[in-house]
Amino acid sequence: MMVDSSMTETAKASQRAGPSYAGWIGKLVNSPLYAATIGLVANSRMARLGLLLAIPLIWIIGLHIGPIYQMARISVMDNYPPSAEGAVYTLDNYRLFFREPLYFMPFLRSIIFAVCVTATTLIVVYPVAYYVAKVVKPENRTRALLLLLTPFWAGELIRTFSVIMFLANRGAVNVFLREIGLIDRPIILLYNYFSLSFGVIYLISLFMLLPLYSAIEKIPTSLVDAAADLGAGPWQRFRRVILPLSKDGIISGCSLVYLTSIGVFAAPLLLGGPNSTIFPEIIASLFHGSSDKWPEGAAFSMLMLAVSLSTVGLFMRVVGGRSVKLM
Amino acid sequence: MRSYFSDIPKTALQASYWLFVIYLLLPLALMMAISFKDANFVAFPIDKWTLKWYAQVLQDRQFLEACLYSIFIALMTTLFATIVGVWIALLISTEGMIARSVIFALACLPAVVPGLINAISMRIFIRVLDIPTGTGAIILGHTVHAVPFVVIMVLTRLRSMPNNLVDAARDLGADSFVAFMRVTLPYLAPALAGGMVFCVLTSIDDFVRTFFLGGYQTTLPMLIFAKVQGGMSPEINAMATLVLIVTAAIGLYAEHLTRRSRTR
Amino acid sequence: MRDFTQTRRSTLKMLAAGTGILAAPSIVRPAMAQSKVVNITTYDKFVPQSFIDQFQKDTGIEVRIRLTDDQGKQYNLLAAEGNAPSTDIVTVTGHRLSQFITSNLLSPLDTGRIGNWNKLAPAYAGAPQLTIDGKTYGVPLLAGFEGLVRNTDYTKASDSWEIMFDEEYKELTSYIVSDFLSIVMRYQGSDGDYVTYEGKDAIAQEATNKARDYLIAQKGQVRKYYDAGSEVQQMFVNEDIYVAQAWSGPAAKLIMDGHPIELSIPKEGTYGFLYSFNVVNNAPNAEAAYTFLNAIMASPEIGAAMTRQSGFASAFAGVDTVLDEKERAAMTLPDEQMQRIQFFSSKNRKMKNDMIDKATAEVKAG
Repeated sequence: MMVDSSMTETAKASQRAGPSYAGWIGKLVNSPLYAATIGLVANSRMARLGLLLAIPLIWIIGLHIGPIYQMARISVMDNYPPSAEGAVYTLDNYRLFFREPLYFMPFLRSIIFAVCVTATTLIVVYPVAYYVAKVVKPENRTRALLLLLTPFWAGELIRTFSVIMFLANRGAVNVFLREIGLIDRPIILLYNYFSLSFGVIYLISLFMLLPLYSAIEKIPTSLVDAAADLGAGPWQRFRRVILPLSKDGIISGCSLVYLTSIGVFAAPLLLGGPNSTIFPEIIASLFHGSSDKWPEGAAFSMLMLAVSLSTVGLFMRVVGGRSVKLM
Repeated sequence: MRSYFSDIPKTALQASYWLFVIYLLLPLALMMAISFKDANFVAFPIDKWTLKWYAQVLQDRQFLEACLYSIFIALMTTLFATIVGVWIALLISTEGMIARSVIFALACLPAVVPGLINAISMRIFIRVLDIPTGTGAIILGHTVHAVPFVVIMVLTRLRSMPNNLVDAARDLGADSFVAFMRVTLPYLAPALAGGMVFCVLTSIDDFVRTFFLGGYQTTLPMLIFAKVQGGMSPEINAMATLVLIVTAAIGLYAEHLTRRSRTR
Repeated sequence: MRDFTQTRRSTLKMLAAGTGILAAPSIVRPAMAQSKVVNITTYDKFVPQSFIDQFQKDTGIEVRIRLTDDQGKQYNLLAAEGNAPSTDIVTVTGHRLSQFITSNLLSPLDTGRIGNWNKLAPAYAGAPQLTIDGKTYGVPLLAGFEGLVRNTDYTKASDSWEIMFDEEYKELTSYIVSDFLSIVMRYQGSDGDYVTYEGKDAIAQEATNKARDYLIAQKGQVRKYYDAGSEVQQMFVNEDIYVAQAWSGPAAKLIMDGHPIELSIPKEGTYGFLYSFNVVNNAPNAEAAYTFLNAIMASPEIGAAMTRQSGFASAFAGVDTVLDEKERAAMTLPDEQMQRIQFFSSKNRKMKNDMIDKATAEVKAG
């Protein structure tokens, strides 16, 4: 019904001039209001550019830089909240990081950890994304994706606790192994790098899955077929055709996972052991601790921000090469 | 259909998928099983079973209100973040735009900052601007955090979009708005769907920003964190199980609808 | 420049207000439905719903609760809000009180405005740890201490903190680093609360370093450093640890629930602290806050509700009579052990906080 009526309308409109469209767009485009507003903008190059620029710039300057600017300001104060005499500005908080070897290890650990998690996630998730995007029949794809997606709705805290209950000394794995008589003393699985990686990948693998899926899904099957016709074996087809064509997805997925895993502190706090303290925990403890260390915490976050953004930039340049003009 | 995919180890791919599904689902399924445990702390094995936690949760007005409130915030966040995110992605992908890498880096900024720092800086920022805390501030905070995810997802897809698609539409007389609605947007659909999933997930799961920006209405994560503080009880598992069942049902129903519309 | 900020400000304000208006009224309660409100930031179930309903009916003051799960967040929120706080009453632990006060976030209590002040248990009415420069801060709610907690199925009784470093429990212990540093200092014969170290930086630093180095050397004993009570509870339930330093509340809750757990105070002694409701500096509804504080002290049921939720002993008189046998037993220790509790002081806090925080970071990184 709906379709029919709009069809006749657009048919009438097409007698007047210009192209015609079905559905609500047709109605919209033909209304006089449209010509006066969107149409005006859409047909003028300058107005279009202005509009394209306006919202993002206001948003980014106002809401992305604004809050960070507040943090940057605090990071050069000697005290926050500033004392009654007014704030004294200093670079000491930054110097502290370089002066104290104490902070360097967790910092390095954080970066190495994030790189390892990113690489592992990529290796684990790539075949999964590939399977869903190319092997599963198109009509079953959404279902296959849903199955992967649903667990993420349980919330980070519950999922973290479910990892704890899975790996603990009296957790599911150990209870099961003891029941079938394989072990009589629990295997230590929790509160070490294993549980930390297990948990963090458990929490953020979706950030790898969706970009990869979206990139692999659009690779034309015909291209791969053509490569096969030319005699390329499975490995060669993967290396020469599929991998390069899914590069965009790899870059996005890795950036998302890397950026997220370098900033997590709730999960490491719950899943890590005594030897796996990472940098965000240090930053959090500067804010949460009982002495007032906001300026130090702010300075350390700024450092982390700079390093994580520049590593992602570097990564994009190296992996993306010339074809990616973004970074 | 002729396909050479057959000799790519398909079974291996299939196995990797199912192993991954087990990895994602098993710990959670066991956690859900504990929601039927008759004890005040979560633990294995489950010796006594009960439905009392469900009875308690379903009668808990605070829980139901918190769910609705969280969903509302997540939907608003998704709406705004998708619009802004697509907009920024379009700007970055515009040919000849200067300082694209700088804009991109700045667009990603909120995703990089640890949640706590982001929340505190946002709170100070909002105070400086005199914006009241409450629902509006929470949505603003969540949106700022969600935008980078949309930008990255959309950019991935935009980069591979054939330029001639839009040109063809323009040649046929469509103005740029129509070309965007009819060509660009449909092409972006999978990336948009992914980006929206990220928006909803990051928003509905956010605790720390909500705590700093919110008023006195409790969201679901706030309620769960507060409950965990008093000890991890199967009641919390029951809450999570209910949330999972409802979202899975919505997902399946939506899939069913799209499937029907496709076959019609 | 000024114009620019102004427009930016109003644009953002409109943006925020706009999203607020979009909120369906059924989902979002109007922010200012009642002119008289009191805003409280506290833990889940600390204030029973039945009490809130009654209080609202009696006084016409709307009670709005913001749930928190940790002291750090509460402090950060107040600090970020500066001189325009959105909350009237906060729930502060003894560890944190000085931090809130030095940052000028709390206002001293005018006990004259609280008619029921005499309903406090006598021990807490003029508690020195809540008295700073002759002013009283906060209504004491709960009293807790840092206890030695052990699994009675797998460990032998010990009257010393030594058990935490027993080879037999290698990788089976856990503690909160900052709290345990103070206890180790005490164990080593130093002053873990720094009261006697005022002006003696070098001695204090030496004592701190000694405790720090010992903990780093004994790192192999530790399964995990934890932060929240729920973590240590879960580690005991899961048998990931057999011995731990823990706050009395979370441990008492395990005991109430029938787990094989014992809570004790070793001979070297330990530290105690109070939870208190504090009125925030520049509180928007100070008048209502006082009405509320007065009302909660009138009934032992509130004290009992807080005790059941947290496992800590109540500071209100008469709560014992409301609790049942099991609940009382979980919180009762022999008098001889209770004598070993030294409450955290309010003196020389800056030195203590600075040195302990630094040493904590070093233990974790070391």
